[in-house]
Amino acid sequence: MEVLQYAIRKLIGGIPLVLGVTFISFLLMVYFGPDKTYELLGKNPTQEQIDEIRHELGYDKPFMVRYGEYLKEMATLDFGASDSTGEPVSKVLARTVPISLALITPGFILGNLLGILLALIAAYHRSGPIDKYIMGFSVVGMSISFLIVVIAFQIIFSSSYGLNAFPVRGWNVHSFSDYLRYITVPTLATVFVALGYNTRFYRAVLVEEMTRDHVRTAKAFGTRPGKLLYKNILKNSMIPIITRIMFSIPLVVVSGSLIIESYFGIPGIGKVTYDAITTGDQPILKAVVGLTAVLFVITLLITDILYRVVDPRVSLK
Amino acid sequence: MSSVAPEQVADQAVVDDGAAHRESIWAKAVYKLRRDRLGMIGLGVVLLYFVVAIGVWLGIWATEWGDVEGPKWAPMSAEYWFGTNIIGQDIFARAIYSTKTAFEVGLVVAVLSTIIGALLGALAGFFSGTWIDEIILWLKGVLDSIPFYLFVAAVAFALTGNPYAMHIAMVSTFWTTTGRLVRGEVIKLKNFEFVEAARAIGVPQVVIIFRHILPNTFHILLVQATIVFVAAIKSEVILSFLGLGVQDGVSWGLMIAESTQEVLAGFFNNFVWASVFLFGLVMAFNMFSDALQDALDPRKVASE
Repeated sequence: MEVLQYAIRKLIGGIPLVLGVTFISFLLMVYFGPDKTYELLGKNPTQEQIDEIRHELGYDKPFMVRYGEYLKEMATLDFGASDSTGEPVSKVLARTVPISLALITPGFILGNLLGILLALIAAYHRSGPIDKYIMGFSVVGMSISFLIVVIAFQIIFSSSYGLNAFPVRGWNVHSFSDYLRYITVPTLATVFVALGYNTRFYRAVLVEEMTRDHVRTAKAFGTRPGKLLYKNILKNSMIPIITRIMFSIPLVVVSGSLIIESYFGIPGIGKVTYDAITTGDQPILKAVVGLTAVLFVITLLITDILYRVVDPRVSLK
Repeated sequence: MSSVAPEQVADQAVVDDGAAHRESIWAKAVYKLRRDRLGMIGLGVVLLYFVVAIGVWLGIWATEWGDVEGPKWAPMSAEYWFGTNIIGQDIFARAIYSTKTAFEVGLVVAVLSTIIGALLGALAGFFSGTWIDEIILWLKGVLDSIPFYLFVAAVAFALTGNPYAMHIAMVSTFWTTTGRLVRGEVIKLKNFEFVEAARAIGVPQVVIIFRHILPNTFHILLVQATIVFVAAIKSEVILSFLGLGVQDGVSWGLMIAESTQEVLAGFFNNFVWASVFLFGLVMAFNMFSDALQDALDPRKVASE
């Protein structure tokens, strides 16, 4: 009950944020966005024809009315049809979001788990050679552009200049083994890029916890290293770890899949967004931006509830 | 937000450090930085790139970056050090010229977003809990929750044809982290005795914020600027690939974007050399940034 009350309060508190995001995206993408009047007109239009089209597109209405209409679209999840294909936006989303989730989830989980594991090893061997190797590797990983990793991995794993073992591009999934074949290279690339940042961040968090007094006390009482790492250090570092994982979710879903999907030609939400950017497909862009903002507010809420789960001292007020 | 603030632990360390040694944080930082071998190597490489960029800017070298002068896909030779690309442009000249582009993007974005982050962060921190703070926090939250590439696309739309659309979009989103860090530091600093003393003798608020408090956050600003610089260069590559990046001239990102066609045909020169140049600068800057952080951050968590 307490959690439910808290959730409702938090969701109401998120309204200004969603309003802000939709306002900025409306201002940039619709109000100052591309003018479609002349695309829909024939040659040498008369002033009346221009006015008629502008009226149909709603360009002659005042700013606040148009913004209100956009908000109504957001609230009812009715974004109209895509400009380029004519398919309803809600249908496009329903078709593409599951593909993106299937593509991104394994890499996201692996990247974080491996990051925590490497960070634990590095933190345990702090200042030793193993630590230096792991941290050196993570700085190198951080310095390589995602785009370079994607192209290089594609050459290495899927082209005739390399192993040629995986499909170069596309998404022709009919069975679980197809699925594994198509996600292997994108997943490897995602993990490779995420690992550098994740390992560094998690190591810093763990090392900070390691220098606390309670860890020294536990060590003095002869707690075994494995138990010390898990019970005294990892468990007490859960708050920053959860924060990082949760906050990267909304960005990974859109921004992360954008590069992967457009490069590997996978028809997920990222590819659709990429195409919408390049063709100026406003209904799609409006939907993606608006829904990401909502996702952000929900993520904030779940994060706060998770804090409570891992640390009962955190109060939901 | 109900997170436990690790800054509070750090605050203690700052005070202790200052009391134990009377030398300034800067003197100690320079001393530590000079002993950090990796950091100095990083700084050296960055300066080397910078000299190359200045040379391009002055028109000393790489002036022929746009000329179509050779056969297409020439191999590496004495004439074309790194070979030529799909239409016969000299890859070496283009890679060198791109150094200038990278510094342009990196410096413009790093300097502007640091200034904005410092100003808004200081205001939010000094007036924490008031409506000024609320508005700045709201703005930060809004900007943070728009997907970055979409935001750049939207700005590019709104400023049709403006070559600085990318810079503007990066500055308007990259200041938020700097702003958050400065806000936290200012909240801590404003309760110190020197601020109380300034207030007691009637120093105006504006002067207190900008003359007394903000200079004390300079170590945060410096480290953040190096981080933003790296982020800007890396984002440029992705944005150029998406067609939203550099509009005139050439950049490593544009070279990699055009190389995606060549790679399929088995010509790797453009891809490899643009990647190597980019990696070299980013890696060197990361090493320098790390050393700077270690030297200036009293917590020293990253190094020990």
